[in-house]
Amino acid sequence: MKQLQDLARKLLSDGTVNVVIGYEAGPRGIRPAFITSPEQADKLVFNIHCVQNLATYLNPRRKQITQLGKVAVVVKGCDARAVAGMIREKQVERGNVVILAMRCGGVLESSGTDSELTADTVSVRCAGCTDREPKLFDHILGELPPEPPVNTRRSDQIAALEKMTAVERWNYWTEQLSRCIRCHACREACPMCFCVKCTAEKTQPQWIDPSATPRANRAWQTMRVLHQAGRCVDCLECERACPEHIPLGMLARYVADAVEKRFDYVACEDPSQAAPFGAFSPSDDEEFIR
Amino acid sequence: MTHSFLSHQGFAALVADLLAANKRVIAPVRASDDPGQVDYMPIQKFEEAVFGLRLPRRSLKEFFLPPTEVLLHYRQTKAGIEIREVPTAAPPQVIFGATPCDAAALEVVDKVMGWDYRDELWFGRREATTIVSFLCTLMDSTCFCTAVGLGPESFRGSDVLLVPVDGGYLAHVITPKGEALLQGHTAEASAAALASAETAQSEARKKVENNLADIPAELSGWLAANFDNPLWKTIALRCHGCGACAAVCPTCHCFDIVDEHDSADSGVRRRNWDSCQTSLFTLHASGHNPRQSQSERFRQRIQHKFSIYPSRFGEILCTGCGRCSRACPGGMDLPNLLGEIVTLAQTEPEVSGQ
Repeated sequence: MKQLQDLARKLLSDGTVNVVIGYEAGPRGIRPAFITSPEQADKLVFNIHCVQNLATYLNPRRKQITQLGKVAVVVKGCDARAVAGMIREKQVERGNVVILAMRCGGVLESSGTDSELTADTVSVRCAGCTDREPKLFDHILGELPPEPPVNTRRSDQIAALEKMTAVERWNYWTEQLSRCIRCHACREACPMCFCVKCTAEKTQPQWIDPSATPRANRAWQTMRVLHQAGRCVDCLECERACPEHIPLGMLARYVADAVEKRFDYVACEDPSQAAPFGAFSPSDDEEFIR
Repeated sequence: MTHSFLSHQGFAALVADLLAANKRVIAPVRASDDPGQVDYMPIQKFEEAVFGLRLPRRSLKEFFLPPTEVLLHYRQTKAGIEIREVPTAAPPQVIFGATPCDAAALEVVDKVMGWDYRDELWFGRREATTIVSFLCTLMDSTCFCTAVGLGPESFRGSDVLLVPVDGGYLAHVITPKGEALLQGHTAEASAAALASAETAQSEARKKVENNLADIPAELSGWLAANFDNPLWKTIALRCHGCGACAAVCPTCHCFDIVDEHDSADSGVRRRNWDSCQTSLFTLHASGHNPRQSQSERFRQRIQHKFSIYPSRFGEILCTGCGRCSRACPGGMDLPNLLGEIVTLAQTEPEVSGQ
């Protein structure tokens, strides 16, 4: 913690950056912090409650943040994948952001009352994480904590879904997505949803009905998750933001698994590795694309 | 207003009678996705309801202003356009176990729904609904109902308020609708039941009062005069503009109206929940957007709730339910921010930015 606070203080004092986006203790748990002066640097913390993906705040259209000046951002491995995605897709210039990467032993499912990581409280995204020691950084901090407790909640759920017939699976997702109220909170909180104009808001033609009907909800969530294929970094901000508690992360995981199987690609911390969505390859299996 | 005593058996029988008469009954139930959480849902059996377990995640708003609803059907024919409006009379429904903040919110929103245009769909459902609230004992650190003139024992918007006492409930019968509902199910309240309810009410109140001091009446004027205060530039940095706060808010009532075709010559006109927290909300056809960043959009949320609505309708558009803080993925915290704004208003009372 002291190492992070000292570094933030130095970056702010010597003018390397104008703001450090990190975590602080809020009135009710850990929350994102925007540290703009060296004196505030001791507010910064990093622990198992730091669930939020701060890369979302690097979106160049968040004018209230870009006006602050040059940014340093605190990331975990999963968040570093989002920063890599934003660099890869030309949203962030590598030279314009100072990445402060934290070695990570897993975080809680939700920041709040639980005080230790157990198989029940650890986030499903931490299971089998290969980015606990981030690879994309300007500074890497902390000692590598022990591996997070093993949890198979999500893989069990996905295995159960795969055992279903296609009709059962269709019914499962129809039921889940029927709760969607089309508030688009999932999109706004997602670091990889940065389109200037979302397809859901295009009206000429109206690709997707804006009302929360089963048909339109299915179209919206299918469209969103397909646009996330190979791009989703599995930070689960969508699920945390959803006021209807729809298991959106599982839907995205499903598609990520398909991309891995078919294209041998996993969203990673290397900005130079193009995702299948944005790449052309003469060796592609599909004839129509060659 | 009168008092009576409703025994546990009497309560179960009342709900069973309503269900047997095919009335729609809504109550807190365990959430389908998370048994530790609670949602207001229509019930088929009394046993499905769970009273006093957790604050429901969403407010009662959806039972009066659904997330999407059809306003009219249209069809284009050779003779012209046929329009069929939807009926505005709603089937009767009874809500049990409402929190007083959720019941009060309906009365607060009535003001705008009946202002320059009477929203018949809203009032159709309001008139068809009887609301039985429970003394709230479920408050957490995000609650601040007492700061906005309400309380865990508030009668506002309820037809009956039930307070748990030995053997059942003390029923505060607030309206004729509430009296009609309880008819034949209650007994006379003993002095002991009245005293016990009184104690429970004041204890519940004490649990919320420390969260946030009363919002001073001057705040509305200070906000109006401080539209350009530098405060707005930094207050919402962590806000994603996702609008989850508006979705769970009992008093956010903005909607959008759209036409959706179901064939080449017919379709429906619907209204859908909308939120001032998204950039599309104020995007003009010209491409200009008067609220350029989340700073302006969050300022709008605070101004509308604590200045614009009070100056037009004489009351705050917030019941202190705390849901916005609980739902926020960015850790925005309304009681905390209001505390900061009130402190600023008291230390810098002079008009800034003029």
